[in-house]
Amino acid sequence: MAFPTKVVTQLYGSIGPVHALAYSSSPSTYILTGSSDRSIRLYNPSRPSPPPITNPLEPPKATQLIQTYSAHGYEVLDITVARDNATFASVGGDRSVFYWDVSTAKTIRRFGGNQGHTARINTITFAGTGDCLLVSGGFDTSVRIWDVKSNNAKPIMLLDEAGDSISCVLAGNGEGNGKGGEYEVLSGSVDGRVRTYDVRMGKVETDVVGTSVTSLARTRDGKGVLVGGLDSSIRLMDRDTGGLLKTYKHDGFKNDEFRMWSCFGGNERWVLCGNEDVGADGQVVVWDTLTGNVEEKITVEGAKAEGKKKIGRDGKVKDRQNVVSCVAWKQEGRGNQWCCGGTDGVVTVFGVA
Amino acid sequence: MSGKRSRATYESDLQAQQSPFVTYGTPLPPFDPEVRDDGSYVPVWKQEVRDERGLKRLHGAFTGGFSAGYFNTVGSKEGWTPSTFVSSRTNRKKDAEKAPQQRPEDFMDDEDRADAEDAQRVQTAEGFSGLGSTEEDAARRGALIDLFRVEGETIGVKLLKKMGWKEGQGIGPKVRRSARLGGNEQVGDDPDATHLFAPENTNMISFTKKNDHKGLGYEGEARLSGNGNSIAAHKSEDEEEAGDRTALVATKKQTKKKAARGGIGIGILNDTGSDDEDPYEIGPRISYNKVIGGDKKKKKFVNGSANPSLKSKPVFISKKAALEKASKGFRKCRDGRLPLDGFILSSIDEFSELTLSDGKYAPLEIPEGWKSSKQAKPGSESTNFISTADAAKLSSLDPKARAAILGEAALPGKSVFDFLSPAAREKLASASGKSNLPLALGEIPKGYNMTEEERHKELLAQVPRVDRATAEAALSRGASGFMPYGEDEAKRSRYRNYLENQAGIRSSPLERSGGFSKNDWLKELQEFANCAQIFKPMSGMMATRFTSSTSAPKVASDASELSAGPALLSKPEPKPEDPAEQAAKLGMYGPMTRSSKDWYPTRLLCKRFNVQPPSHVQPGSTEHAEGDMPRNMAPDLVSKTAIDEMMMQGIRNQNFASANIQAPEPVIKKEEIVIDTEKNEALEGQRAGEAVFKAIFGDDSDDDD
Repeated sequence: MAFPTKVVTQLYGSIGPVHALAYSSSPSTYILTGSSDRSIRLYNPSRPSPPPITNPLEPPKATQLIQTYSAHGYEVLDITVARDNATFASVGGDRSVFYWDVSTAKTIRRFGGNQGHTARINTITFAGTGDCLLVSGGFDTSVRIWDVKSNNAKPIMLLDEAGDSISCVLAGNGEGNGKGGEYEVLSGSVDGRVRTYDVRMGKVETDVVGTSVTSLARTRDGKGVLVGGLDSSIRLMDRDTGGLLKTYKHDGFKNDEFRMWSCFGGNERWVLCGNEDVGADGQVVVWDTLTGNVEEKITVEGAKAEGKKKIGRDGKVKDRQNVVSCVAWKQEGRGNQWCCGGTDGVVTVFGVA
Repeated sequence: MSGKRSRATYESDLQAQQSPFVTYGTPLPPFDPEVRDDGSYVPVWKQEVRDERGLKRLHGAFTGGFSAGYFNTVGSKEGWTPSTFVSSRTNRKKDAEKAPQQRPEDFMDDEDRADAEDAQRVQTAEGFSGLGSTEEDAARRGALIDLFRVEGETIGVKLLKKMGWKEGQGIGPKVRRSARLGGNEQVGDDPDATHLFAPENTNMISFTKKNDHKGLGYEGEARLSGNGNSIAAHKSEDEEEAGDRTALVATKKQTKKKAARGGIGIGILNDTGSDDEDPYEIGPRISYNKVIGGDKKKKKFVNGSANPSLKSKPVFISKKAALEKASKGFRKCRDGRLPLDGFILSSIDEFSELTLSDGKYAPLEIPEGWKSSKQAKPGSESTNFISTADAAKLSSLDPKARAAILGEAALPGKSVFDFLSPAAREKLASASGKSNLPLALGEIPKGYNMTEEERHKELLAQVPRVDRATAEAALSRGASGFMPYGEDEAKRSRYRNYLENQAGIRSSPLERSGGFSKNDWLKELQEFANCAQIFKPMSGMMATRFTSSTSAPKVASDASELSAGPALLSKPEPKPEDPAEQAAKLGMYGPMTRSSKDWYPTRLLCKRFNVQPPSHVQPGSTEHAEGDMPRNMAPDLVSKTAIDEMMMQGIRNQNFASANIQAPEPVIKKEEIVIDTEKNEALEGQRAGEAVFKAIFGDDSDDDD
């Protein structure tokens, strides 16, 4: 299978950068986007695309938009979808975890308050059997584990080993033999460490990466962890020993400023990550997982509509930049479609030709 | 619609709507409680303030609670207008003027006012009204009471009247004088015209009978109340005791006034008999003139002074003026006392008149042609007088010559000129313009007549001393990092030289470098001495208790510089990097970058993950965050993780040896710098004994309790 490079559609509607992208759980029909305009949008990319833009000043119509979830008071930074697709959770600048009902577009619960995070929450994921837990990590250097089932407002666990902001978490679902990391909670922190909390063994293993960790992804078998760092390289680490399996780097690839999600694609054949060092059109760099060579550089067209001019601190108009900060592969890396979104607020869906 | 309906419109509308059939009278209020009913009774607390358009005047927070005036009526049509604040600071009197002047009428009720009105009724004076009047009796009595102790017109008066005498006139032949019209002269009148007038009435002089044993002129306490009053008091006393003996006509008015209203001491029998005076009348004691032409003394209400208790406006009188005034009236006698009452000190001084008055005692006139025998002799005038100073000036002898003439021994001291060089003398001479200055000898004084060596020695003796220990301490402090004058390398080296000299390290004497004057040099050395005192390290007790942690010159680069001088700044030792970080930097991921620790998931978490809790999690441990605190961990001296770390480091070091990788470390540079990479001093070092801590930080008193 060749890498899907064809633009299937573009999803519009966000007024501002898209910070989070999530496919709905299998069969991954829908895409959820979390935007800095404080709302979460649910798209169906298989719907017909909007008509071609005639007036460049007019914002494109979001024909694929199904639902907008707005309750956040700040930007949305991460979204996680439950496996039964009935609920999802989102986090952002407001210091609580929003647990949503998909159909009614209302929050079922909000985890926060006195025992909650004391700063912005960067990341969220479902965990435990039947997605009964939510693991959130935030700027307050703590990971908090929330119980969805009980009515307790307090987190059931507080992991505060990290020395700096938590940028990403991973958690197992508690089903299986445990070899795929089903009983583990992983947290990546800006202090350059990936901490693996093994629930069964009661141990925490700290792997020093050496650079601020911005993204975590796990291979299907749970043996490898894809660690994105702020030194313009993505590492595939061995979960068991902590050894380095592969480093994904490229001369034209730069990531030392933003949190760039990276992911596996095509049954872990490829590693994808957005590139910072680009202009008005974004770029996604694709590596071959095994060889570590760059397979593709996909150009992601930025929004056609004239956006607001951005003025930098020096008072000059900044060049428009479309940094693709988040990528997501359909069906957790198994499907034949992937999407990416970035600072232009446009989500581009790629598929097979 | 242009706006709100006016109130009248509203009311008419209301009536038309609610009670359309009422033609006469005021309709009853509408039965519907919703409809606003104007005119019906509303409890006070429900009443609202409305303006003339029927709109609520007060809204929101201002409708309740505090009420200004009668239910927030202040400032409205119904309420009073609050006066605006006027600061009395700058314009004090403005307010006072506005304050209404209180009049007696303000305190009178209607009855009083009617009485007052009655009292003011115009009437003819009794004297004119007809015979039988006794009103004027008092006056008549006053004039001739002493002569004729008879009531009514005596025969004498009758006789006098027949002779043309009229009451009020004096007795005697007529006097020719100009008319005294009291300033009312008419224009046509000749001011010089004289007419015949009856003589003025001479007042009867009364003598007060002295029937006490007090001294002449003694007034008793009456004197306290002032001079003028005392006379009045006298008179009133007289009048009261005698009742009929009044000597001075001037008091007539006073008596009359007294009689006008019932006063203390005047009974009903003293009543003059006029009908309109009720002796028992109780009322304000206000007297009005009841006679036309009676001279009315105007009451002065407005006296202009802010203080109503003051009768007159206070006027500033300067001390000088007051003294002058006082000296006019009350000049004191020679013995310092005031003159006797009634006497005035004479303004003419007899003695001064004796001596100074012109003409009276003029000096004797010198007879013509008289000559004094004490005239100067004509011969003495020829010699010119020359003062000693002038004479000295004229003399050309210098002190030495004079001394020689006098045969004195030469003075041991020397003149300034002895030490002046000839050039300097020339300069002086040209400046002063004198040519007779003594010769410049160009001598060199004894103290300055030294060899170079001697001079240097003396200079060195002036160098400030620092004791050896201090100098050494300051030097060592400098060596271990800090030395002053970091910004001036030359000065710093001089400072070091000085210290070394003082410490005895350097035997060679201090050298004064070229650019310095002697004073500057000494000044700088003094500064160095002070500096050494300040910058010497902790000494004594403190020094024995503490040791400095690390010394900078152990760093290789500094060690080589030591001969040249200690470093300007002690370089901070690089923070020992986490070996795991180093390993990660080198890409040596694996056991070196991984560390493991016990973690205590809560039971609920384990339950949610559908696993058995790990064995080391206590079955009774709490479900929440506090559970992750290790409770079964003994406080090991070297923790397990530390041992792990040590082992890891061991592995790493082997790797270094085998792979021959040069880590960018400052550690392996020189042999003399020994940093034990195997050992983390801070972590693994032996904890000092309790006694040591006590010795340093302990308080003796602590041991007692």
